[in-house]
Amino acid sequence: MKLYIGGAYQGQDELARQENPDVQIFERFHETIREAVLKKGEEALAFAEQFCREHPEAVVVSDEVGSGVVPMAAEDRTFREAVGRVLCVIARNAEQVSRCICGIGVRIK
Amino acid sequence: MIVLVTGGSGCGKSTWAEKLIQTLPEEKRVYVATMQVYDRESELRVERHRKQRADKGFRTVECEKDLAGAPIEDGSTVLLEDLVNLTANEMFDGGDPERIAPALRMLAARSRHLVMVTNDLFSDGAEYSPSVQEYLRCLAEINRQAAEMADCVAEVVYSIPVSLKGELPCV
Repeated sequence: MKLYIGGAYQGQDELARQENPDVQIFERFHETIREAVLKKGEEALAFAEQFCREHPEAVVVSDEVGSGVVPMAAEDRTFREAVGRVLCVIARNAEQVSRCICGIGVRIK
Repeated sequence: MIVLVTGGSGCGKSTWAEKLIQTLPEEKRVYVATMQVYDRESELRVERHRKQRADKGFRTVECEKDLAGAPIEDGSTVLLEDLVNLTANEMFDGGDPERIAPALRMLAARSRHLVMVTNDLFSDGAEYSPSVQEYLRCLAEINRQAAEMADCVAEVVYSIPVSLKGELPCV
């Protein structure tokens, strides 16, 4: 499993595609998490564990969303927290984690 | 040498960038100031930055927009502060953000040294109005182009520079 993260528009998606040509990529995974947790009411950790079981070779790309002021709306707080919890599980299962800033990937695992 | 300095708000980006400039030749040292002064808070901010760089041999060039038109001599050592304001001014004050990246490339080619300061404001996960979202996308693109032309990209984390690209200059 590989995980590519970064703030909004930092180039993590391009980097993932460059480094993993011809592989299906789970892009904008923070939106997948939003969908699962907020719309379908799934529990974040259970969702993460199941995803890792079903897609052990997945290449996952996500925005980092946790470095702002605590949002006012409960839904936004749940989303932000869920992204953090899920990505921790994915990072634990990943053999490679890269973080993009200004289009530059830095491998942190 | 072309350097891009990024990092969160108030983490010491300017201080590090100014220290870096001081290790470079003193002749033709130019500070490009981009902030629009419109209230007491911005006045205080400008004041703080002015004090911080007093006696460091800078000539200040005010440039809220149209970087290509700023009076900067060839062969200067330039500290440009910062891309965040410049992009906001071009976007929200009747300019054109598309002209920033070409102007940066031209400035980089004509300067002896160029140090650009920007800000990392992309990781709060908040959803903004379409115009702010477009501003973020545009600034991110400019940051990426600036990073590409830079020999060194440094993220300053609470005064500690961390290299994202190239070797950190000794400051």
